Amino acid sequence: MSTTTAVVRPGSVTKQADFPMDAQSPWAHAWRRFRRNRLAVFGMVFSGIVILIAIFAPWLTPYNYADIDPLHTLASPSWLHPMGTDMLGRDMMTRIFFATRPMLLVGIITQLAGLLVGVPLGMIAGYAGGFFDWLITRLVDLFSALPWYLIVLYLVMVLSPSLQNLILALTITSWVGSCRLVRGLSFSIREQEFIKAARALGIPTWRILTHHILPQAAPLLVWGFAAGIPVAVFAEASLSFLGMGVRPPQPSWGQMLAEAGSYWQYWPHMFVFPSLMITLSVLAFQGMADGLREALDVKMTT
Amino acid sequence: MFAYIIRRLLGILTTLILLSLFTFTLSRTVSGGPWMVGAEIPQSAEQIAAFKSQYGLDQPVWRQYLVWLKNALTLNFGVPFSMPEKTVTQVIWDTLPYSALLGGLSALLALVIGISLGMLAAANPHSRIDSAVTLFAVLIGTIPSFVMGFVLVYFFSARLHWFPAGGWGGPINLVLPVIAFGLPASGGVARWTRQCVMEAIASDYVRTAQSKGLTNRIIMLRHVLRNALIPMVTSFLPLIPAMMTGSIFIEVVFGLPGLGKYFVLSSMNRDYPMVLGITMFWALLISVTFLVTDILYGVIDPRVRLEQ
Repeated sequence: MSTTTAVVRPGSVTKQADFPMDAQSPWAHAWRRFRRNRLAVFGMVFSGIVILIAIFAPWLTPYNYADIDPLHTLASPSWLHPMGTDMLGRDMMTRIFFATRPMLLVGIITQLAGLLVGVPLGMIAGYAGGFFDWLITRLVDLFSALPWYLIVLYLVMVLSPSLQNLILALTITSWVGSCRLVRGLSFSIREQEFIKAARALGIPTWRILTHHILPQAAPLLVWGFAAGIPVAVFAEASLSFLGMGVRPPQPSWGQMLAEAGSYWQYWPHMFVFPSLMITLSVLAFQGMADGLREALDVKMTT
Repeated sequence: MFAYIIRRLLGILTTLILLSLFTFTLSRTVSGGPWMVGAEIPQSAEQIAAFKSQYGLDQPVWRQYLVWLKNALTLNFGVPFSMPEKTVTQVIWDTLPYSALLGGLSALLALVIGISLGMLAAANPHSRIDSAVTLFAVLIGTIPSFVMGFVLVYFFSARLHWFPAGGWGGPINLVLPVIAFGLPASGGVARWTRQCVMEAIASDYVRTAQSKGLTNRIIMLRHVLRNALIPMVTSFLPLIPAMMTGSIFIEVVFGLPGLGKYFVLSSMNRDYPMVLGITMFWALLISVTFLVTDILYGVIDPRVRLEQ
């Protein structure tokens, strides 16, 4: 098994000469380094815009995402319909805007839920060791025996396709990564002197976990959270593309690509805009995650 | 070494049995089933009961599982609901060649492009070439393979008519899928190669070699490459089964009759024996690859001891 371990040095500075050595928190240092990464800044701006679009989607266009217009089907982009209309005459731009909602929901909820499950389990496994460690490691092995998309496909099949079940299935697979990271980290921290000292002082275990181990894991988890979002966004797009995610009439970019099916060779606007949005949002979230990895100085060794 | 392999094989067997227990029980306990597909065609209670007794679905779940497990140990995964005239094993062997060819060739393409670009970038660190390669790797790596498939079909099939858009008629049908699948994967390969080579260059033994007065060529070939190869091999070998299972999306876009397409079709039809069979087959393939990777790791790196 390729177990991933990670080493974090939250306070370390790569190029000291670039900025003055005044007292700054590690997070402020990280923010400075993050800002210097152009792709990361693009990612941040893009996701900000996407979040605004998701909030204000109903007021941005005069159309409804489900309203069909039999007289204006497959219209090419014009002033009236800046991204054209689809085979039912629905306004593409409205659908593109509304599709940001499932995308963000899946991306953020699955990663948050994954952290809520994975972090406690990983800490218990790494810190307590023994039977719990054995049990949780078996569970992690079980979920690592298959790539996540197969598990998600299987679960969505069993639970019947819908956005809620897609989120549930992705959560069931997304806790594994953070659990493994935290397990490795608390396993290595456990033997360090400050933990022994804390234990000797009689500090309760839960306090050692939350006050001594969790802060050490924080940069790693922030990065893990960010790195999981592009994967989840990709998952939502590809499963909706296969017809196993967001159900019509609610739009999703992947599903719009699937609907483009037999039309797109003659009406390329049907696939240009959804695929552009999928690619740009994966790029934006990936860029942010990469920027965070550099800024927080998370080192991955496989 | 022998004991290690035996222990690992037992571990794989345990994981597979747990996985099958989990997937089997889940599929049998959740309400609904293959007889629900196409519910607009009304089915009488007798028809459903006949279907259930034909596939043994009226038995208690634990007995169904034991029967399934006994058969599965001899690689007999039963009869698919949607194709009663075939066995699951037969369908897997019939469709595997397409997926293996697609996955293998795509992995090869990703490795060739990725490793050459990564080496090129690492040989000229912090230069224009380096930043161009890094940018290319990030951009290409974020394009989902099915989006890439659409773009390729649009230009090379619909516009230029150079390649067929889909289906299977011969090796020429593989050209576009392999590019669509392999090219995005090359981005990650290039980044990892660059990182491995850069780390090897920055190490102490390279500085020693330089101070001994060895030429750059010898240092690159004898010291940097050999050491950089270790992390590269161990992370690129699992790429092959990953590409074979990951081809599901690309097989759907191009209508290739591979294992992945059948997995998706069976998932939509709730064809449990088929899905379970393919899942177990893939899990076996992936676990064995990881085992081979770990053994190889010990072979190419004498410093690694295979214990635990």
